[in-house]
Amino acid sequence: MVSFIGRSMVQKTVTLFFVSIVSFLIIHLAPGEPSQVDPLNPKFTPEMVERFRKEFHLDKPLYVQYIYFYRDLFTGKIVSWKDNQSVLIKIWERFLNSLPLFIVGTILTWTLSFPVGIRSAIFRGGLYDRSATFLSYLLISIPGFFFAYILIILVVTTLHVPVIGMETFGLGASSWGNMLMDRIWHLLIPSVLGATGGIAVLSRYVRSQMLEVEGQDYVRTARAKGLPPDQVHYKHALRNALLPFVTMFGLILPGLIGGSVIIESIFSWPGMGRMAYEAILARDYPIILTVNFISAVLVLAGTFISDILYLVVDPRIRL
Amino acid sequence: MTTKRLLILIPTLVILFLFQSYLWVPTYEEQTKGNPDRLYEYITPSLGDATSLNPIISSNATSSQIESLVFEGLIDRDDELRFRGRVARSWEIFEEAYFYMNPEASLPEGGAADAQRVVHILSTARERPEGLTPEVRATLERIKEIVRMPPEARKAIRRLKSSDGSETVQEIRVDIQAPPRIKLVLSEVDQDLFKNLSNLLGEDYFRAFDPLPFVTAEPPVDREILTEWAAELLPSVEHNPAIIFHLRPDVRFHDGHILSADDVRFTYQAIMDPANLSPRVSDYEPVKTVDVIDPLTLRIVYQRLYSPALGTWGMGILPEHLLNRTALRKEAEALGRDPEKFTMRQSRFDRRPVGSGPFIFEDWESDQFISLKRFEGYWEGPPHYHRYVMRIIPDLLTQEMEFYSGTLDNYTVQPHQVERLERDPRFQCFSGTSFGYTYIGYNLRRPPFDDVRVRRALGMALNVGQIIEFVLYNQGERITGPFVIQTDYYDRHIPPLPYDPQGALRLLGEAGWQRNEKGWLEKDGKKLEFTLITNSGNDIRKAVLAIAQDAWKQIGIDVRTDVLEWSVFIQERVNKHDFDALVLGWVMGIEPDLYQIWHSSQTHPHQLNFVGFKNPEADDLIVKIRQEYDHEKQVAYCHQLHELIAQEQPYTFLYVGKWTAVLDKRILIKDLDQDGVMQYRKITPTKTGDYTFHFNKWIKVSDMPQLSTEE
Repeated sequence: MVSFIGRSMVQKTVTLFFVSIVSFLIIHLAPGEPSQVDPLNPKFTPEMVERFRKEFHLDKPLYVQYIYFYRDLFTGKIVSWKDNQSVLIKIWERFLNSLPLFIVGTILTWTLSFPVGIRSAIFRGGLYDRSATFLSYLLISIPGFFFAYILIILVVTTLHVPVIGMETFGLGASSWGNMLMDRIWHLLIPSVLGATGGIAVLSRYVRSQMLEVEGQDYVRTARAKGLPPDQVHYKHALRNALLPFVTMFGLILPGLIGGSVIIESIFSWPGMGRMAYEAILARDYPIILTVNFISAVLVLAGTFISDILYLVVDPRIRL
Repeated sequence: MTTKRLLILIPTLVILFLFQSYLWVPTYEEQTKGNPDRLYEYITPSLGDATSLNPIISSNATSSQIESLVFEGLIDRDDELRFRGRVARSWEIFEEAYFYMNPEASLPEGGAADAQRVVHILSTARERPEGLTPEVRATLERIKEIVRMPPEARKAIRRLKSSDGSETVQEIRVDIQAPPRIKLVLSEVDQDLFKNLSNLLGEDYFRAFDPLPFVTAEPPVDREILTEWAAELLPSVEHNPAIIFHLRPDVRFHDGHILSADDVRFTYQAIMDPANLSPRVSDYEPVKTVDVIDPLTLRIVYQRLYSPALGTWGMGILPEHLLNRTALRKEAEALGRDPEKFTMRQSRFDRRPVGSGPFIFEDWESDQFISLKRFEGYWEGPPHYHRYVMRIIPDLLTQEMEFYSGTLDNYTVQPHQVERLERDPRFQCFSGTSFGYTYIGYNLRRPPFDDVRVRRALGMALNVGQIIEFVLYNQGERITGPFVIQTDYYDRHIPPLPYDPQGALRLLGEAGWQRNEKGWLEKDGKKLEFTLITNSGNDIRKAVLAIAQDAWKQIGIDVRTDVLEWSVFIQERVNKHDFDALVLGWVMGIEPDLYQIWHSSQTHPHQLNFVGFKNPEADDLIVKIRQEYDHEKQVAYCHQLHELIAQEQPYTFLYVGKWTAVLDKRILIKDLDQDGVMQYRKITPTKTGDYTFHFNKWIKVSDMPQLSTEE
């Protein structure tokens, strides 16, 4: 066990190192310059472009830039090119903003998907299954922003309440409770929207996993023992169907930092995804690379956690 | 079964909890009713966030919008686009001109030129101008003062560069023994001064001045290099236009500090300081000196004629006491940073600016909002609105919904919505023309575009009216040249190219292109074919691309098209001149300075005259426009240049877009009429369509009052 953890740590560090190189190279190979360096602005003389490049170390060889970047990152001194703010502080603030969306979305997805998928599996081919299948494919194939727009228009025109941003704008001085509830209201639509997509996908997986397990002998045995159907499905079958989801659960961790670009942009939600997206458009390398690095760490941490969870969940695996 | 119950119960509870919050949230109605302050708040949307709120550092539109309210420049433009004083009460522009005595030249009346005789010639001509041409007389009348300057010895350091120009190889000391000089003080700037004076001093007087004998280099360098340096260090003639600004005595920064001429000079120095990396350096590069004469008077002298100079003083003035070296050092120490490396870019001022404009900075939440409150001590009187809030909403549809529901006070309408919203009785609607145009540019270095007939024919084959009608929903105006259409620099009398495919074919025929049996145009066995490119992400340009391709195919030109990602488009194609024709746009300022886009010296890679337009006549006009300080003359030159470019057709000029904005109808202008009685009137846009010009007088009313002048 200990040796597994040790080995896996070493492997992951090596992977992380390569990821850092590759992501650095990709960003620098991609065409385009930081938005501060604007070659099509008549006021920008070549000397100024040069000066900016120098300031951002863009005139140095790539490996030197690489070293500068990771030195600044690990000493916490890295600043965004866009506004000279500390990248780590910016990411932390945005992370806190994205967190509620992520938590509510995850709770909804990882609870609702199971009953929905299991019922589909039990009544395979029935009306419920077919309509659930239809609905999930509809939700999967129609882009999220479409529903977002429809929902915004509906809510604004029928309920006459604000839905944009993290809180009602210009609410002024209200009581503490009001402010809290106001924030929660603003959380509702984006998080539910984010969750519907997740439920649509995840419930499909649950369905197919359950179908596989439901045909097993031990499920038949459990049924033959005369156990109540719910207990058969939710205890005997579900536990065995859960294994693949352990992997998936580990992988939701990077979602923490990726956020949801489209939902955040439409709802003017000042979250991680929107910041990363705007950084990419402005070629703000420090932010892009830091977000990239952190998500690489989270992916590796996620796989590590799911490896460990496997040990716990599946008694057949021994190291 | 507990698992099942939990799996259903938890999400249900979560959703119910989320939903119940609806009961707590005020509807829009309640917001405005319950919050009377809302009437004193102006909320405007922006698609992107600001980058920095320091006017010398930022260069994007959102930042400038906020800066224009927090900071104030010496001058700005009034509703007729004339300059008007803000921090500056008034200003004068005059000129100091210099020329060296040319010992080689012989004067028209015989004999060598020495200072005394030259001064004598000029003074007598001034006293007795009979027999001189009117231009020369006008120039002489402008001369207020003639001063003899003694010879002067100076030293300069020059650097020899390595062959690739990147490193300094050697520093060379240059000794200059300058000959005597004459200084002329002119009441107005006169770019033809020396041309006119050469009528008196001899055709070759100024041209024949050879500065080489007056300089020596230590250690010696090549004669060629020295000649070059000598010409730089001892220019035969020198125009030094100067501006004197008189500042208002009652302007204060938001922290109560009085704004003085020192702050203006500090702002200039901050821009020029390389550590600050200001993108505005090129505007101020021609400045020679900025002198504070007294706390309210400032003299700025320029190295050369540069007529856009006055406009650059619209730049927001920074408070020196908050940003000078001592202040920055203190801040760096407080933050525990290295004071040597701490510049304005790192300062907190960037996100908490202090200016002298009508609004005080209040708060900035990244990607959420920037809020300002009014400045009670504003010299022109505080604005009616108490707060100004810019909300950052990166999505147009969301902006629109927020506008309908009253949490935004204005919304910029997209072209396809104009027809619907213009008629909506809930809103007032303004529209105007943008400061920028879209064009098709041809690479004039490549055949067949080197032939003006081909370019003209391509323009004639294109139905621009249709593009405006169907692509822009009529929200555009046809243009014929490179000037801003609302200004008088633009000549409205120049007719656009007619839509005439048959005429285009005739022109191409004259140029030697005939249709072959398959219908393609051909010359010497070669088909007329090229590629038209544009950048991705702009649907209108993409539509223009398709329309042009179709129109040109119809007259037998094989056009292929390509849409490229912006940075590839710029770096690989435009900057390297690797294109046949492209669809692109320029955003313009009011100043008619076209040097970078049209002058023949700007045709190298990475420069902006990427189409390769070279025309000596145009070059001459561009320089003249740049040097002319007299508005009427400048307009005349601009019209000539406009006509020339329209004839040459290096671009097919397409259109300028129109914008439309809608505003809550209850927003009005409140001010005093002639009798000093408070009155409300409708917001009226200025000549350029700027409806926010009187913004400081705007106010939102809860019920529509009786308007004094109902239109």
